[in-house]
This record gives sequence, structure tokens and C-alpha cells, in this order.
Amino acid sequence: MTWLLLMPAALLMALVFGWPMLRYAWLSFHADSVLTGLVPVANGGANWLRLLADDRFWQDVLQTGRFALVSVTAELFLALLIALLLDQRWRGRGAVRALTLLPWALPTTMMALGWRWIFNTPYGPLEAVTASFGLGPLNLMASPQWTWLATVVTDVWKTTPFITLILLAGLQTIPADLFEAFRLEGGRSMQALREITLPLLLPYILLSLLFRLAQAFGVFDLIQVLTGGGPAGSTESLALYAYLNAMRFLDFGYSATVMLGGFVLLSLSILLGALALRLSGALRPLQS
Amino acid sequence: MTIGRRTLAVLLGLTLLFSFGLAWSSQRQIQRVNILMPAPFADATAELVQDFNREHRGRIALRVTRGPRDTEAISDLAISSLLLGRPPFDALLMDVTWLAKYAAAGWLEPLDPFFDSEAVDSLVEGARLGNHYDGVLYRWPLIADVGLLYWRRDLMDAPPRTPDQLSGIGRRLIDDGAVNSAFVWQGRQYEGLSCDFVEMLSAFGGSWLNPQTGEPSLNSSEAIEAVAWMRSLIRDGISPKAVTNYSESESLQAFKAGDAALMRNWPYAWAELQKSDSAVRGQVGVTLMVHEEGHQPAATLGSWGLSLLKGSDHPQAVIEAIRYLTSPEAQRQRFRNQGYTPTDRSLFRDPEMLELSPILPDLEQALTHAVPRPPTPLYAQLSDVLQRQLSGVLTNDLAIDQAMNKAQINSMTILESAGGAA
Repeated sequence: MTWLLLMPAALLMALVFGWPMLRYAWLSFHADSVLTGLVPVANGGANWLRLLADDRFWQDVLQTGRFALVSVTAELFLALLIALLLDQRWRGRGAVRALTLLPWALPTTMMALGWRWIFNTPYGPLEAVTASFGLGPLNLMASPQWTWLATVVTDVWKTTPFITLILLAGLQTIPADLFEAFRLEGGRSMQALREITLPLLLPYILLSLLFRLAQAFGVFDLIQVLTGGGPAGSTESLALYAYLNAMRFLDFGYSATVMLGGFVLLSLSILLGALALRLSGALRPLQS
Repeated sequence: MTIGRRTLAVLLGLTLLFSFGLAWSSQRQIQRVNILMPAPFADATAELVQDFNREHRGRIALRVTRGPRDTEAISDLAISSLLLGRPPFDALLMDVTWLAKYAAAGWLEPLDPFFDSEAVDSLVEGARLGNHYDGVLYRWPLIADVGLLYWRRDLMDAPPRTPDQLSGIGRRLIDDGAVNSAFVWQGRQYEGLSCDFVEMLSAFGGSWLNPQTGEPSLNSSEAIEAVAWMRSLIRDGISPKAVTNYSESESLQAFKAGDAALMRNWPYAWAELQKSDSAVRGQVGVTLMVHEEGHQPAATLGSWGLSLLKGSDHPQAVIEAIRYLTSPEAQRQRFRNQGYTPTDRSLFRDPEMLELSPILPDLEQALTHAVPRPPTPLYAQLSDVLQRQLSGVLTNDLAIDQAMNKAQINSMTILESAGGAA
């Protein structure tokens, strides 16, 4: 009976997720490019060998990983702070709650264009601010060492509200009498945060981490608009590289390989992460 | 009574059938032609499309689909629809760099049967380039386009001719406090950087592909000299450091605001610089990119043209539309209203046209020095690896010879093993 009820959902997943993945896997063992007249020709493991030796792929893996880890960590801390604030009762809270969501509601390309202008040298607002402190031009977007930080800032601005929303929902499920009992026992509020709020919020934190890491690892539109992968390829993400191979170079075989290669690495790191969490016992509150 | 009713029903049915048939057959006679263009071009042809439809009423209905403005974005749109098979478009307005790729992918219909050598001869020199792949004509030019050097008449008596002169004039103007930065160009990691490189490379006598062997020659001594000059522009402050993140629009912004003395850009910038919000209105001249003595100046070939897509239901009607949109009269109108460079040779000597724009002779001269980017289906890959290394040299202090060696090796690998064919 359980299986019967699960069937429609399973079928749908197989159709929209399983089939494309299988198709990619198949394509990654074929040459399918403008040179083959866009007809797939089996080429053994040539694409995968090329991927292993492709230092651009590995550079992009590192860059994408760095982007995802730094921006999601920053988002999590900021979102936790904001969610705790928004969970308190104060005048005008409703309006502020709605405002906080605004960046999330904006289309990514639009806001990336806006940030590109903010970071513009010499006409952008950021340069105007630093100039008013007597500092010379920053040229943030012209530096392979620092431009990736601009992508992180933009992403944090854009997606912190998303995590805030999940955490806020989590905070509201915590019964108020727990805090009351804690206070009666003589606990301080910082202690309450550590001993009640955070443990009970953990499932929500993990959920948002999972969502956001997967999303950040596949970042495309923000990078494409903000930097185009430059300067010197220092902000190129895996998705951007896969896109270039497919849409610009018309090399679908290799594009599928890049995409799958990234997927395999991401799945492996999530598995390892989950294993480490389980072994460390941090998930224990979830099992009760 | 029953018979009468039945007859009535039959009559009614017949009438209905007949009128449907009539509507259907008249529908059939009108040939619908749909052309995809970037928004600015679609807007520039809107009036012509109306005229065309008026003249061809009941026969051809032409529609121009407004695509995205950005070159890469509209290429993505076109490619997506072509990959899905049976695209909703009959023709496409194509950038010069797409041609080899689209032709090799088998998406384009040859145009040789429709445009004879006489038609080709009527084109200005630079407009004849970039329309063929493997000797077959696949694109008919809508506008001509080449890279130009813009210079400020109020700041110098004559434009610089050599790289050294450019640096010298720039240094003097900055030291005098006349401008913040002397020379703005396109240093961002994107296609514009490759375009600028083609011109600067030619200035030192180099070329992207070796003309004898057809192989990349990105680590030649000329190429290394050219890149060294590009980097010295930034290091010596002739160009602002921010130029390494400039595309055409940022360069134009700086030049239009009067913050720069020289700018590398396309012909469209001229009309922008003559607008009322321009600080340099009426003070701008155009010329060719600087070059070392004894070498030819180069103007990177841009240009857009119309291509007939395979699988169009009525190619004749599409060709009729293409002819109409590229006629000398249409070119005149686009030049007058939007400042798009014409392709017809005779228009460059036309008194009315010359009156509209004093730079027309300069444009014609620049068009004779048009240099196409490598016409291979793998161009996007070649340009991509080049941009990466150039951007590295300009922003990351990479050693020039190492970077250009890497660009060379990567280019060779692409040409030898692209597509992963075993």
C-alpha cells in the first residue's frame, strides 16, 4: 500500500530528475559537438579523462566550493541574528519582516546588475564612499584576489532573507513555556539561547544549509551577470563552465561531463558531511 | 416541411464549410516570415517592416521578434530554439562570430542562389568579409561595423599614429591635468577584450592565426610585444586600472563624461557622443587604431547580417524580406535615424549621407582595414582561452610569455581535440 501511494511521486521524480541524469550520464560517454554535426558519437571515457586532466575544472570546483562555503556560512550567521530579532515583539516588526524579504523577491539578474553598478570604478557608490574616507580607487572588480568577495557579498545580500524565513518559522515552533520554565530555574538568556533555542532550531539550520549549499554550488546567473567569470577566470563557477561548453562552444558531451563531475563531487561532500555529523553526535536532538 | 428543414441544414452546413475553406485558403496564401533580432535592431527596422507589409499585403506578413539586447543572450535564445528543432524563426540576425559555428552545425541555408557576384560587388570592402563559411555564402550584411579609435579634437591637434605617440600624448594630458585617464578600452574578460587584442596585435605586426599555416600564433614575439604594451598602458596610468573591468558601455561612459582623451569603440558610439548629455559633443574625431611604422593598422570586424534558417517553409519570401531590409534605401534610413553604418559602397559617397555624418569617409577607410576574428566553428573556445590569459596578465601580474604560451597551448589543444572525439 505504501508503495502504491508513493508511485505517482516516484514516477514524477524519475521523469524530471532520473531521466535527465541518465541522459547526461549517457552523453558524457559520447562526443556530441559542432564538430560531430551535433550527432552523439561514442568516445569511451575520453570526456572523463579530459575532465580529470582539466585544471580549469578543478579550479572551478575550488572556486565554487569557496563561494558556497563562505557565503552560506555568512548567510547563516546573519540570518540567525535577524531571525532572533524578528522573533521578539516590538513596534513595526511586521513592516520590517516584509522589508527583510525584499532582496529575496528581486530577480537575481536585476539585483546582480545593480551590484555591478555599485562596485563600478570610478562611478559606483562604493567608490564614492571609500573616496569620502580619502581612500584611492578600490578597483574591487579588477582584482582576481578579491573579486570573488564581491560575488559573496551580493549572494549574502540576496539570500540571507531565505534562511531568515526558515529560521523564523523554526523559532515560532518553540513553545514559550520552555523559556519561562528556564527563567524560573534561574537561567540567563544567553544560556537559554545555547540550551533551548539552538538545539531546537538545529533541524531548521540543517535544512537551510542543505538547500543553500546545493543552490550555491550551482550558482550561475549571479556570476554570469556580475563578473562573467572574470577577471582571469577567478570567479567562474562550475555551472558557468558547463553552460559555456554547451551554449557557447556547442560541446554537449563535455558539458554533460562537467555537470555530472560537479554533481558527483557535491554528493560525495554532502555524504561525508552527513557521516561526520552523525559520528560526532551533533544530530542527536533530531532523533528524539 | 421535414425536407425543407433538411435542405436548410445542408445549405447551412455547406455555407459554413465554404466560408471556412475560404478563410483557410486565404490564410494559406499569406506567407508568414519571422525574423529574430536583438532589440535595438528590431526597433531600428520597425518602420521598414510596416512599409514592407503594406507593399506585400495579402502575400507576405513579416514579423520581427525583439530578442535580448546582449549579443550572448540572443545567441543563447537562438541556439536553444535551433536545438529543439523547427525553430519559430525563418531568419536570424547574426553576429559575425556566430557564422562558422552555426554553418558547421548545419542550421543555415546557403544564400549563393539568391545573391550574385554583382550584389557582392556593391558592398563596401569590409562588409564583404565574415559572410562565408567554407566558400559558401550564409549571411547577408545588414550593417557594417569595425573597431575605431575615438580622439578628442579639443585636446590634441591630430590623433596619435603609433603606440609610443599614444602613450606620450596620454602622459602629457594627464600631467597637465586635462583628463583623469588618457585612453579607455575594453579590458574586461569577455569578447570585447579579444576584439581590442586583434587591433593591438596587428599594430605590432602580429596576427591571431598564422596566415601561412592557419595555426594560432599567440606566443609570437609580436603578440608578446602587443600584450606588454597593453599592460604598460595600465601600469603607467595611461589607462585607468578599472579598464580591466570595462566593456564598451563603461568605456563610452568615461569618454562621454569627458574623463578620457582617447577611446577604442565601435561606430555606434559616435551617435551617442553627439547627444545633448555628452560633455564632448562636437569635439570628437575617429580614426584607426595606432600601429608601429611599417605595419598595417587593423579594425576588428564586427557587423550583423541576416541568415536564412534551414527548414523555413517559404525561403523565397524570406529572401524578399532580407533584400528589403538590406536595400540601400533601408540603409540610408537606419543611418539617418540610428547611425548604423551602411554596407552599400555608393552610399559612402552620397552627398546627403555625407551631410548627415562627417565621419563617413573615416568609416569607409576603417572598413578597408577590417580584420575578421578567426573564422572557425571553434572560435568561441579560442576566444575564451585567450581572454582568460589576457585578463590574467592585465589584472594578476602573470608573466606575459608564460600566459601567452598557455593561451597558445590551450588553443592548439582545442583545435586538435575539440568535442572530445576519440
